[in-house]
Amino acid sequence: MTTLLEIDGLTGGYRDTNVIFDLTTRIAPGKVMGVFGRNGVGKTTLARLVQGSLLPAEGMITLAGAEITFRPAYERRALGIGYMPQTAMVFDDLTVRENLSLGQTGHAPDLYFERFPRLAERLDQLAGTMSGGERKILAFVRAMIEDTQLIVLDEPSEGVQPENIDHMAACITERAASGAGVMLCEQNLSFLTGISDHYLGLDAGSVVLDKARDKATQDEIRAILTL
Amino acid sequence: MSLVLILNLIWQISTLALVALGLAIVFGKLRIMNMAHGEFVMIGAYAPVITASLGLPGWLQLPVCILTVALVAFVLERSVIRHLYGRMFDSLLATWGIAILLREGVELIFGRGYQSVSPPIAGTVTILGADYPAYRIAVIAGIAVGFAVLAWWNRRSKVATRIKAMVGNPELAQAVGINTARLSAGAFVFGCCTAGLAGLVLAPTIRIEPMMGLDYLIRAFFALVVGGLGSLEGLAIGAGIIAGTQSLLGALASQTYGYLAVLTLSILFLWLKPDGIRPSSR
Repeated sequence: MTTLLEIDGLTGGYRDTNVIFDLTTRIAPGKVMGVFGRNGVGKTTLARLVQGSLLPAEGMITLAGAEITFRPAYERRALGIGYMPQTAMVFDDLTVRENLSLGQTGHAPDLYFERFPRLAERLDQLAGTMSGGERKILAFVRAMIEDTQLIVLDEPSEGVQPENIDHMAACITERAASGAGVMLCEQNLSFLTGISDHYLGLDAGSVVLDKARDKATQDEIRAILTL
Repeated sequence: MSLVLILNLIWQISTLALVALGLAIVFGKLRIMNMAHGEFVMIGAYAPVITASLGLPGWLQLPVCILTVALVAFVLERSVIRHLYGRMFDSLLATWGIAILLREGVELIFGRGYQSVSPPIAGTVTILGADYPAYRIAVIAGIAVGFAVLAWWNRRSKVATRIKAMVGNPELAQAVGINTARLSAGAFVFGCCTAGLAGLVLAPTIRIEPMMGLDYLIRAFFALVVGGLGSLEGLAIGAGIIAGTQSLLGALASQTYGYLAVLTLSILFLWLKPDGIRPSSR
């Protein structure tokens, strides 16, 4: 199997406090990895370690064969890692149009406006004046239109209407079908299990399940969420 | 009110706006409390002296000014400032020390005494029957055009959008591929260069000496306190109120009353409207 993202023995967190411990996993191109677990198990920390806003204490991260372990976030973006953070996910003082125009764009936003027409209606509105769900959608579309080979999404469905969650799922599936790898950190189990090709279950910063979709059972997944 | 008084008012407002512009960028955008801002005005004012002492032609004053100020600002940014972004109090202390070093350095090279330079444009122009120095008219027009271009650039350019993004959300800015360290350094050097440019245009109208920067720093801070941080409109309003009040009272009563009024205004704004008249970052 070709590997897009390779994580080996990753340990890291915030200053002197490690949150992720000795984590090893792989993401293949064109595949969606669903990262799940209870609150505080390290999903966001893992996303930030991969994206580069946190640097690890130990271990190695490789993207398409190139080591990126200690590369800053802006260099990782240039190498092809897109990121949608869980909080502070948009530029509040910029308009929707300006938010979408930042970064190197590879996919026309018009395709996404068909699914999320509210964005098209609010192109000149400041992102900070939008509702929480709308800001999530804006951040999601911004991450989707970037020309990236790996997309890290941290809780994209939080606070978003069910209809729009379905649209998000369709967008992720399409980007994966076009060859991008996706790391989807999610609490919404039905959203996660609906589109993931591979599951990574976390508890207390360690991997407790790392299985392909067809190998993992719903009972195993639910058991991790009640650990 | 005589036309000359009005033109003097416009001169004071436009030059203060230019002095405060760099501080608005460095303090308003980068959150660096740059107490050495006035010293960059001072270094810019010394550019004609440097040019003359090197035996260079007068038309090189502008390149000498920009290169000197940019070099000093770049070295300071790489060595000190880059470690202080987001640490406002630390940056205040550090830049206060830098200001002393810059003053002492200039004093070591040029001495403590006053220097004076001639304006590059001599003579006067007659406007509605009033004679006014052609140099000042040219500077006022240049600053007006410069601010118009900057306002257009601020709305249209991708770099301006990236600076706003970096200021509002530095972590996300990095995530979308913005090299925030390089952008901050560029903004700092640009801010210092505008201060140097202000010093250069003021040079023929003032006495140039190593201690001259403090007065410009204080008035630029007052302009930002009144106008608000982060917008060109606020900067223009703040410069208008501070320079206008000081000039009018200075002309009608005395300079002491002018300073007193400006100080009182600034205290009132800090107390009652601490974000200034235009607090928006857009």
